[in-house]
Amino acid sequence: MQRIHRWLALGLMLCASGIAQAADIHEAVFRNGVKLVVEEDHSAPVAMVQVWLKVGGRDEVPGKTGLAHVFEHMMFKGSKKLAPGEFSKRIAAMGGNDNAFTSHDFTAYFETVPADRVDEVLGMEAERFAGLRLRDEEFQKEIRVIQEERRMRTEDDPNSHMFEELSAAALRLHPYRNPVIGWMQDLQRLNIGDVRAFYRQHYVPGNVIVVVVGDVDFAHVKQTVARTFGHIRARPVPARFNPVEPEPLGPKRVEVHLPAQLPMVAMTMPVPVWQPGKNDREVAALAVATQILAGGYAARMQKELVDEQRLAFSAAAGYDPFSMGIDLWFAYGMLGPKQTPEAFETGFWKLIQHMAHQPVDEATLAAARRNMIASEVFAQDSLYLRAKEIGRMEVVGIGAAHRDDWLAAIRQVTARDVQQAVARWLKPARATTGILIPEVKS
Amino acid sequence: MRRVFLLLALLLISHTAQAVPPIQEARLDNGLRILLMEAHQVPMVAMQLNVVAGSRFDPAGREGTAMMLASMLTDHTAKHRHEAWNRLLDQDAIKLGSDVDVDRLSLSLTVLREALEPGLDAFAEALLRPGWNRSRFASLQQDAIAAARKAREEPGVVASEASRALLFGAHPYGHRAAGTPASLQRIKLRDVQRVYDRQVRPRGAVLAVSGDITMAELLSLLRPRLQAWQGAPEKAIHAIAAPAPVAGKRKDVAMHTTQTLVQLVRLGPQRTAEDFFPVFVLNHMLGGGGFGSRLMEEVREKRGLVYGVYSYFVPLATHGPFVITLQTRADQADEAARVVRQTMQAMADGHISSRQLKATKDNLVGSFAQRMDSNRERVGLMSMIGLYGLPLDYLQQWRDRVQAVSLQDIKAEAARWLKPATWNEVRVGPAGRR
Repeated sequence: MQRIHRWLALGLMLCASGIAQAADIHEAVFRNGVKLVVEEDHSAPVAMVQVWLKVGGRDEVPGKTGLAHVFEHMMFKGSKKLAPGEFSKRIAAMGGNDNAFTSHDFTAYFETVPADRVDEVLGMEAERFAGLRLRDEEFQKEIRVIQEERRMRTEDDPNSHMFEELSAAALRLHPYRNPVIGWMQDLQRLNIGDVRAFYRQHYVPGNVIVVVVGDVDFAHVKQTVARTFGHIRARPVPARFNPVEPEPLGPKRVEVHLPAQLPMVAMTMPVPVWQPGKNDREVAALAVATQILAGGYAARMQKELVDEQRLAFSAAAGYDPFSMGIDLWFAYGMLGPKQTPEAFETGFWKLIQHMAHQPVDEATLAAARRNMIASEVFAQDSLYLRAKEIGRMEVVGIGAAHRDDWLAAIRQVTARDVQQAVARWLKPARATTGILIPEVKS
Repeated sequence: MRRVFLLLALLLISHTAQAVPPIQEARLDNGLRILLMEAHQVPMVAMQLNVVAGSRFDPAGREGTAMMLASMLTDHTAKHRHEAWNRLLDQDAIKLGSDVDVDRLSLSLTVLREALEPGLDAFAEALLRPGWNRSRFASLQQDAIAAARKAREEPGVVASEASRALLFGAHPYGHRAAGTPASLQRIKLRDVQRVYDRQVRPRGAVLAVSGDITMAELLSLLRPRLQAWQGAPEKAIHAIAAPAPVAGKRKDVAMHTTQTLVQLVRLGPQRTAEDFFPVFVLNHMLGGGGFGSRLMEEVREKRGLVYGVYSYFVPLATHGPFVITLQTRADQADEAARVVRQTMQAMADGHISSRQLKATKDNLVGSFAQRMDSNRERVGLMSMIGLYGLPLDYLQQWRDRVQAVSLQDIKAEAARWLKPATWNEVRVGPAGRR
């Protein structure tokens, strides 16, 4: 930890606006394609082990949405050496926690454990990866659990239900149009054969990135991974589905009528994602623009649309430059009883136009950059976030080694860059607008 | 030679580092208690001030008052209007937050080490120089009313409102801190100021700090900034009557959802209860421990009825709620509720093995280090210890006290807490099923 600190101090001297950065990253690639990334931190006797797979919702075929996520659940349902549920029980017995998450771009399995149990955990992870038992009886129970998960997260949540409809309407080709959890109609028809086929095709060593952050020694972890994941037989790695989304031809609108208390309005549009060395300036500028719109306490959407014009009781925007292919940039307003979607939309686009035509003042720009860099420092406080950042950058093809380049790009963004990025990508003619309209039921 | 020695010392540290970093304690002249855990690996400082000004001080019919106070304190000050204040915070990446639970109001600060001084200036200004701007109050109130109405789209919020009313009635714990649209509407600025004047006082409050700083530095920065703050709150943390137990009641709330939320509730132990640790271990075994727990095993793993089923109790100055909660497709609600009650009954009848107890304790003891491996978590734990007056070696003792829970203890606690007849039930979902 001594080293992190020195590194940070050095960074602070180099850059007047303040800078974050973490410890060195150690990497190794094994012959079968498995990659290992380690970041040592000896400040507490714990470690975070994350196994990242280059498999997610985008790799499903039509009619089988939700399969990547179903598969994630099945990873806990028994392997050659472990009975169903036993994986988690063993992790719990060593004082650990385990879970997993699935997105369009990846599936990740993670365990936080006492540092001296890392070898054992890696052994268990490799064993279930290579020797999963996919029993129909377990699948039949688990698919019901997942349908309950969908009811809870989507069917009974009008706001997320609206966002699902909005994404589906916004895109024609790109897989971000389908929900990761899957359409209920697909979930009702999946079977164990689908799950087995998905396993054979995608759970191959060339899709694996093992990330370990915590009180470990890289050389030792490397030996352990060589012995476990490194021993799985190499198999062909299927190409990932990453189509080019056609450019929008004009504005689109969807209305969603659901039981709800108050309306909500959201706009979304496809925007580029970061390709290191190719579009750093433009993508960093878009990230800074989003920070100025929705990031700090003085965020313009909050200040102008909520506080001054009173067009919503809450408003925000979001952009993920580390997506794959494109990202769906979004903004939304939560509307109170007397606030209308039309007024919010008008106010929002006026604000965007202002940003496209007027350069942002230097103080606002500096504050945006400083907050983005500070949040990187604050993220170093959590092993989970650190490992997650490494895993995400690896799995979408950016590479964790590029972490510093992102901060460098943020630091170089000028007022003119912000203007240009907004003018090029955030336009009514490129947007799909969704409105949640509360349905009156008796 | 020296180098070898150092290396050995490092090895020893990293393998015996199960030891918990000590909490350092100091007191300012005004009575404010300061607790600090040093953590120098990331150049940041996090802190949380807890004052005895939670939602239990909301005037009847004006629920949400303490939450409005929390919003007002961080919104602007007497020296800075809203807009200038926000720019000042953003300029130095100062994260200033406020929050309310039943017993306490908290003010929190997260800053880069290099921005500590402006961060502390802002923190003290928010705490000691409230602005009470009327037009900002009106806007915040309107936004809070809309947010409270929006929150009614969430079955969990509707259930929690019903559970609190059922369990606590007119007791000060009987409402959500966020209030309701109607109660928020009735709040006047002077209600908010009254809670501030009466309760936001240094004696009985605690400031918990974790990060890249020493106690000497911290005190030299805090003294000049907080010395004007004086006095004791009108009501101290433990000055609250115990609620009367309620059992066997049932409340159904209609909502247009596909699932029914089933919530079982009763009173739980208070924070300072003698049997806190046995009940804590019992709850972890019942439904607090995620996948290892008995409810998750019976309701999800064996029957596939739910995505999740959880139990927790909220230990407060007096008895808070003990809750078991799940969501399932509406036509399965009866079955899920039945399985939960059977599981509770089996445990109350003493069907708990020593192997299960060992697994539960192993998980708790082994994962203890994770409970405090970030500044945010350390600050949360210390501010709780300080607020409720727990001993400062609480964290050092924690694992031993979990280990000391015997099979006999746990069976006795199960018989005391888990008999289904001592619980109440709330359901939120499509009407007309019962």
